[in-house]
Formats: sequence, structure tokens, C-alpha cells
Amino acid sequence: MTTAVSRRPLSADEVTRFGAEIDALRERTLADIGDADARYIRRIHAAVRYTEILGRGLLFFGLFPPAWLLGTLLLGVSKILENMELGHNVMHGQYDWMNDPRFDGKTYEWDIVGTSDNWRKTHNFKHHTYTNIKGMDDDVGYGLLRLFPEQRWRPFFLGQPLYAVIFALLFQWGVAIQDLRLGAYFAGRMSAAELRAQFRPVGRKMRRQLLKDYVFFPLIAGPFFLPVLLGNLVANGLRNLWTFMIIFCGHFTANAEVFPKSVLENETRGQWYLRQLRGSSNLRGGRLFHILSGNLSHQIEHHLFPDIPARRYAAMSQEVRAICERYGIYYNTGSLWSQFGQVVWRILRYALPSKPVSMEGRRLVVNE
Amino acid sequence: MLVAGPLKRMLSPLVNPQVFDFWASHLSPTLSWERPLAKVLARRVEARDTVTLVLRPNRHVGGFAPGQHVSVTVSVNGVRLTRSYSPSWLGRRRMAITVKKMPGGKVSEWLTECCDEGDVLEIGPAFGDMTQPSLERPWLLVAAGSGITPMMSLLRAAATLERPLPPIALLYWARTRADLCFGRELDQLAARLPSLTVQRLLTRESVLLPEEHSGRPDETLLRALVPDLAAQQAYVCGPAGFVATVRTLLEGAVATCQAEAFSLPDVSVVEGQPVQVTLARSGRVLSVPAGAPLLAALEARGERPAHGCRMGICNTCVCGKLAGTTGDLLGGGLSQEPMGAMKLCVSTARTDITLDL
Ligand code: FES
Repeated sequence: MTTAVSRRPLSADEVTRFGAEIDALRERTLADIGDADARYIRRIHAAVRYTEILGRGLLFFGLFPPAWLLGTLLLGVSKILENMELGHNVMHGQYDWMNDPRFDGKTYEWDIVGTSDNWRKTHNFKHHTYTNIKGMDDDVGYGLLRLFPEQRWRPFFLGQPLYAVIFALLFQWGVAIQDLRLGAYFAGRMSAAELRAQFRPVGRKMRRQLLKDYVFFPLIAGPFFLPVLLGNLVANGLRNLWTFMIIFCGHFTANAEVFPKSVLENETRGQWYLRQLRGSSNLRGGRLFHILSGNLSHQIEHHLFPDIPARRYAAMSQEVRAICERYGIYYNTGSLWSQFGQVVWRILRYALPSKPVSMEGRRLVVNE
Repeated sequence: MLVAGPLKRMLSPLVNPQVFDFWASHLSPTLSWERPLAKVLARRVEARDTVTLVLRPNRHVGGFAPGQHVSVTVSVNGVRLTRSYSPSWLGRRRMAITVKKMPGGKVSEWLTECCDEGDVLEIGPAFGDMTQPSLERPWLLVAAGSGITPMMSLLRAAATLERPLPPIALLYWARTRADLCFGRELDQLAARLPSLTVQRLLTRESVLLPEEHSGRPDETLLRALVPDLAAQQAYVCGPAGFVATVRTLLEGAVATCQAEAFSLPDVSVVEGQPVQVTLARSGRVLSVPAGAPLLAALEARGERPAHGCRMGICNTCVCGKLAGTTGDLLGGGLSQEPMGAMKLCVSTARTDITLDL
């Protein structure tokens, strides 16, 4: 079904009331958080451990192709779960209320080459505060891709379909170097010494991860060194592709918006909520799909409530949607394939020069 | 235990304690790389609203002297909460804590009503100075309510000493007879220790038995119950108000006086009034207005806590609160628990507080 949704500007009063309704939903949900959420995250943690040991165990029999395949898949699933539903959500402080050091947002260290400390800065602070603001949210193209016509075109972007594929395959490495500001270094705005100092913790983490997956586990497999090494490589690759897909679908679909820095001037809480909504997009799917995406399939709810346990987003999304409908606010959601198709289209389209168009008052054509 | 001593030291760089604990807990619930845990072996009702839990600690649970306290951490509705209790040894590798249900007390309610055999508690290091008094002078032990637990621990330990004991007087206040703990055990101790006299004082019991007394602590009562007051080493434990009263009565009147109070959370201070923020790491003490956002208030006092969004979303300003009551500017709730994570930018001090900064 194709429907037209208009992007009607809201009056200041409407924005305030809208913000109050979102706040009230937040309060209602927080008041209900407790044992069930604690049990859930402990189960996810257990699932990560079980799938990892099973996957690694099966890979030791990797000369037998079905064992290799299943082992690699399980290890991939384990890494995806650890990355998304466990690490990402814990690091947002979603489970800080438990007072459990295992789920402490400030100290959790996840299983990717990027350090958690860098992520807490680029993601929790920059991306979540300045969501989709050009020049402030590094996630808008990750300094590598042009995804919005508002970004200035340079001939470099002609190659972006290729860079995007490489970036997707190596996604965790992209995340790892995101905070190093290599651009500033190459432009001569940062000294080599400064870069080296910044790289030290990142390098340590990279070495640890490489040793673990490509030296330690293959070595203890003895004669099965190669299948284990390959299995680990593929599992990491699967995780890279999956996270790239989920994350890009969260902010770079056709109807997602990018904002100029000026939106920050006297931005009210209601306006902040509205910006989160207009810059994010959801993915439809089943329960397992939501868990494997770390519930970032509910990207809109995640951006409105980054510190609320993600397992709550599904229920909250019903209410957020109803609130949006009341105010005539466009709620961006679709299937993984349709949203990802739009992402691919953006990557291809904005490799070429283009002029920005205003979203305000625009009629959108939405495939339901 | 699985690994100990030198082997453990050799392995420790390779082991992630959390991963170790995850798998080890499948073998035994208290098996852990470094966490001090204890398993509940038995629970018995001690008095009205009061239970005694018999625990088997793992090897990481440190020692404690009779009369000291340990912090006990449990998970209530998904939240780990900590309170202190006064434990007793019951022979080797067995300890007991006695818990009275406090009105509105989340931990005491859980321990008295939900905790059962097989549950695991986390036991922190021991603290407190009310350890065994000198054997050269008479002991005066004054307890009210749960204040009896450290006294019990001292008496149990004293009963095992192979030296002559000085005169020991225990004054034990409770509201009614049903609130008295350790009835039979105290009688047995008194029978075994000729130097021990136990006086039970009830404040809300209508009919008293011959050996019981009534009334709140005052000078006449104390002098009547303890003839040679001046010679005593006094130990006092009970609710804050009780301890304050007894302390004023005793100080100067006895040879030495040590007191410990367990208190209910402080009442929140009026908006705008100054409260003290103690920064535990730097040792600084600052005065800030109650109800003001803590991040901004600390900055106004020259502190530079880590921060990002300043609106409660990025988690950068999170820091631990060690004591005191704080308010939440987004949700409006109050928190009286010590906790590992609190966002400075959207929290306020509602009483004097201590931060892990
Ligand atoms: S500064 Fe971002 S949560 Fe406090």
C-alpha cells in the first residue's frame, strides 16, 4: 500500500505537548523496570557464553564441513548478540540501575577491535546528542560516505559504492578508528605525537582481539589451525556486515533527515525528541530479529530513550507511534529489505552531485 | 576450590574473572574467582519479623571479629542492594546473620521473607570497632532491637574463651516480648556463664514477667540495673535515637563507652538549602544547594567532572554515589541507596551526599 504523509510543521505549543507525552511514556516505563529486565539481560549474557563455547567447540571439528558451517554461524551469532543486545545496550547505561558490575555501562568492554571508551564518546555522546546533525554527528557518513545532498560533493565520493562495501566488510575497524580523527591528522591539524597517544589504547585492543581470534584459538586447535582461523574470520565478517546493515538502516533511509547545526540553538526537550524521530528509522521483524539487532530495529525508540532497557522498545513503539499519529508526525518504519534498499540507493545516488531539498512541508510517498 | 595460591597467581593474567565466574557458578553457586559469596544453608525464625540465616561462606569471604559488621549484598527486584549486619561464627566455615524486618526496608524484607536455602549472598569486608572488650574490667552491653546482634556475637565468642570472664551485664531493650530475639540461647548462655546477667526491658508490653523490666533508658533505671556503673566498659548498639540517648547518659558515668547506631535514611532537605557533597577520591567537601543539578553545581565550585550531553542521555557524567539521598530531575524520584551509577547532570543532592569522584 502506498500512502502519502505530509511533514507538517508543529507549533511551539504542540512540540511542548508532544515532548510531555514522550516524557510521560518514559516515566511509565521506568516505573515498571525490575526483575524481568534483570533476568533478561542475564539470559542474553548466558546466551552469548553458550553460543560462543558451542561455536568455538564445533570449529575444532572444522575439517568436517557441516561442523565448520554451524560453528562459524554460532560464533557469528554469539558475536552479534554480544555486540548489539549486550555490549551496545549495557554501554548506554540501560542496566546501570541493577548495580551489577557485569552490566555497568561505564566499565563494560566489548568484543570488537574498537575500545569501549572511544565508543562511549563517539556514539553515546556525539551521535546520541547531535543525532544526524551535519558536522557534529560523525555517524553521518563516518567521514567516508556522502549520504545526504546537504553534504558537500567532492570527486572523492564517486568511489563511494566501493568504499561502502569495504567499510561494511571491515565495519568494526571503522568503528575502532572513528575517534582518532585521522582527517585532522592528514589535514595537518593534529601532530603525529598526538595521534600516537590516541592510538595507544586502540592499538592495544586491536592486538588483543587479533591475538584471540587469529592466534590463540587457532593454535589451541593444533592441526585444525586453518579451519578455526577461517571460521573466526568469517564470524567476524558476518558480524561486521550485520551491524553495518542495521546501523545504516537506522539513520540513512530515504525519509531520514539530516540537520544543520543551527537546530541546536535553544533546542527544547520536545524539539530534541522530534529531531531524534526525524533522524531515525525502524525495521519491522520478528522477536528474534529484534534481539539480534540489539533492538536497534527500534531505532526511533532507542534514540528517544537510549538509557531504557532495549527489550522495552517493542512495547513502547506502539505508544510512540500512536502519539506520532495524533500529532501528524511521520513515523519512519519498514522491512529490512525495503529500508536497506533505500540505504543502497542513497549510497549510489549521492556519489553523484546533487542539491539539497527542504523536507519541511514536503509530501512523502511511503510504502507500507 | 578449583584453583588456589600460586597456580591462581600464574593464571590470573589469562583469566577474565567474570567469564570464570559464569562457568564456575554452574558447578557450585558460590564458586568464584574473587567474589566473596556465601550460600544460605538454613533459615529459622528467631522472633517476630526476625530470622537467622546460617551461611556457608566461600574462601574469599574475609574474617571478622565478633562485634563487627559486614555488608551483605542481595538482588531485590533486579537491583543489587547492600546493608550491614553483624555476623557470628558458628564453628569453622559456618556463619550466621540475624535480620529483623524494618518497615519499608527492601533488603531486610527480602532477607526475612524471600531468602531461602540455596540462595547466594555477597559478603563484604568487615568493619567496626566494637570488638571484644578487655577482660580486666566489667562489660556493660546495651542493645535495642537489632542492636542485639553484635552483642550476641560477642557473647558467643566470650563463651568459648578459656579464661575467667569479668562480670557482664546485658541490657536488652525491645518493644514487646515477641520482639525479643535469642530467648533460649540467652538463657543457656546465662546458665553457662555465671558472670553474665541478662536484663530484658520492654517498652510496650502491658503485663511483665517477674524478671522483665519496663521503661525507656534514663539515669535512675541505669543506676538501678547496673550498681557499679563507673567501672564499666560500655558498648551500645541500636537505632540512632536510642544510641544518642544512652550515650549522653553513659558518657562520663562509665569507664569507656563505644557506640554504634544503625539509622534509617535521612529526611530530604528543603530545596535550595545548602548540603555537603563529599568527593571521596579527592577528599574535597563542597557545599551546594539542595535540588540543584549536581553537574552544574560541582562546576560552579571549580570541579571538572566528565560530561557530555548535559541532558541525561549520553551516560558520560555517570559516577557512583556512596551515601546520601539524591533526586532525579527527569523522573522526580528519590534514591537513598548507595549505587554504582548516577548521572550527575540530571541528579540533585537532597541530603549530604558522598560521591565516588
Ligand atoms: S552529561 Fe550526558 S548523561 Fe550527563
